[in-house]
Parts: sequence; structure tokens; C-alpha cells
Amino acid sequence: MNRIIETDSQEAFVQEMEKIQDTLPSRIDANPKNVEKGLAKLVLTLVELIRKLLEKQAMRRIEGGSLSDEEVERIGETLLKLENKMQELKEIFALKDEELNLKLGPLGDLM
Amino acid sequence: MVIYTYGVIDSKDTIDETIFGLEGAGVYNVSYRDIGVAVSELGEKMQEITDTNVLKHEEVIETLMTKFTVLPIRFSTIFNTKEELLLIVEFYYQDFKDNLDRLRNKVEFGIKVMWPAKIIKQRIAEVYNKRKFTVSIMADSPGKTFVKEKFEKHIIEKEFEEEAVRCIAVVDDYFNKIASERKIKKLQTENLLLNAAYLVGKDKQDDFKKAFEQLKSTPSDLKFLFSGPWPCYNFITLTKKPSSADYFNAEHMLNRLLAQQGLPERVQHDHEPRYLTGMNGGF
Repeated sequence: MNRIIETDSQEAFVQEMEKIQDTLPSRIDANPKNVEKGLAKLVLTLVELIRKLLEKQAMRRIEGGSLSDEEVERIGETLLKLENKMQELKEIFALKDEELNLKLGPLGDLM
Repeated sequence: MVIYTYGVIDSKDTIDETIFGLEGAGVYNVSYRDIGVAVSELGEKMQEITDTNVLKHEEVIETLMTKFTVLPIRFSTIFNTKEELLLIVEFYYQDFKDNLDRLRNKVEFGIKVMWPAKIIKQRIAEVYNKRKFTVSIMADSPGKTFVKEKFEKHIIEKEFEEEAVRCIAVVDDYFNKIASERKIKKLQTENLLLNAAYLVGKDKQDDFKKAFEQLKSTPSDLKFLFSGPWPCYNFITLTKKPSSADYFNAEHMLNRLLAQQGLPERVQHDHEPRYLTGMNGGF
């Protein structure tokens, strides 16, 4: 086949394609040295998914105007605390945001 | 020894040409009714993902494509025995036939488009800052300030996604009349606006390339990557789902085969076929 690969920005495309590779390995490489971090990554990815969903739902409700001032205050405080806690945990296990991504099939990526 | 598979082909006959596959092993046809699967017998169970191995797999498929219609199989799909492979072919026979008919004389092209996400978001934010956001939140406490910031970000993200849809429609317009099918992935990363695969008739390849040249020459801040023709990795659709009866029969047969080899019976079911899910044919 006379294949053509044509681009004026090869480097940029390579970088983007690398980003969309799975961050969670297909097999968990469990050994005494990394088992804690590996599990933390898995658990925090799921917690992050739930946090994002909560946040998205809250934004939709604010957009729809169905929340009172007090409710907005309460939600804000909760989301703020949740985000700070996640930040703390990520630091403890030395995990970066992009490491907590998750492919959700037809729904796309978590982040 | 394992059976390494390259692709399903629309022929039950022996492959005339000598093709060397992975590990330098010969490629031959395991036939079932009027179709077949091109395979090699290999010693290694898992094939290491190296450039050489992946390219070899691809090369075999492309050689096969000069003679047959091929449903490419994902790299490193292996079976323990020919019987195991035939079981799968028997099960998906109609699906394979339908796909072979649909993909006859067709090839795949990949179009990837990048846009400057940061600049696009800045533009959107500037427009909103002038217009003010539709919902105003008083930032008189840490909680509300947090929500206000999140909300503004949310609105910008939403507009960003809508802009992506509009932009993709413009790009897609160049190709969708020429292509017979397409698979579009939007914003896999912020910058990767579009990652698309188009199924194109072999007789329309030049039209497709011309359409790309036209798109590329239109002034914009988009970056493009065009690739192809590829085997139709992204257009194989398997509709048949294993029913419990099929499972029973398949399990029964597998267990019989396992028993013949003096191996213990398999207890767990694999609920999803691992085969032929397609590998990204893109760059």
C-alpha cells in the first residue's frame, strides 16, 4: 500500500497521542515496594471520578437555578473540602493529576 | 506452541504466496467453511510490543490485503490450539461474513486535528467576561468563591465543547461525502480536537486525498495529520453476543478439548470476546 503520513507538526501529535494512552496499566504490577502506591492510585482514581461527578451535578443545578443561596454555600464548602483532601492524598502518594485519569469507554476520559 | 492470528480472510484456500510472520514463521490459512484465518505457529506465548513486532504484524496484514479482503486482528491475539480458534470462527462466522462483505474494496484513512486549546479558552473567557455570566454568585464566603470559580470554569468548558462540535462539523464536511463510514473521537485531549477514522472505497482514495489538501489550504489555526490507507481496523463490528446456550456449548467443547490434553476444566466464563476489537490504525 502506498501509505502517506502527512503532517507539519509531527512532534505535537506524538505528544498528544502519548497522553491518551491508558494511565492505568492492564495488569497491576504488585510487589512489596509499589503495592501501596498502586492501590492508592486505583482508589484515588475512583474517588476522583465520584468527586468530578458531584461537581458536575452541582454545576448543572446552579446553571438551572434550582439552588438557594444557602445550598450554594453548603455545596461550595463541601466541594472545597473534598478537593483539598484529594490534594493532600495525592501529595502523600506522590501522584499527579494526569495519573488519575480513567478511560470510560464511550463516555470518554474522566479528565 | 501457540496459534498467532493476523486476520480473517475471505478465502478457504491455501495462501499461495510465502509470507513470513512473527519469529520468521510461515503464515498459513486455517479455514472454516468459505472463510479463513491467517495464522502462524509461534513458540512464544506473549509477543513483546516492539516496533519490529508490531510492524511485522502490520506487514503481514498488508500483504494479505493485496489478495484478500482482510479483517485485521489486534496485535498479539493468540490461541492455544487450532480447535480453540475454530470455535471462535464458528461462533462469529456470520459476523465475519457480514464484515468481509461490508469492507470489501475499502480502506481506512486517519485524520487527526489539533487546535490551540488554551487560546480558544481564552477567547471564550474574554467574550464571557464582557457579557457577564448568566448566573451570578456572590463571592462572600470561601465556599461561594470556590463555587463561583468552578462555575465560570464549567461554563467556559461547556462553550469549549460546543465550539469543538462546530469545528469538527466543518472538518468532517470535507470528508463525509466521500467516505462510506466514519468513527469520530472528539477532544481525546484538550488539544486533540479530532481523531477520526474514515472508511473509503479504494476507487475514492484520490478524492479523499484531494479533500484533505483542500482542507489544509484553508487558513486556520488548526494542525492536521493525515494517514492512510490502512487496513480497516476501526470498522469491524461484531453484533453476535454469546448467549448462555452458546456459552454452554462453547464451554462444553472447550472443556472436552482441555480434558483431551489432560488439563483441568475451565470454570470461569469470559463474558466479553477479547478478539477483533480493532487496534488503532492511526499514526
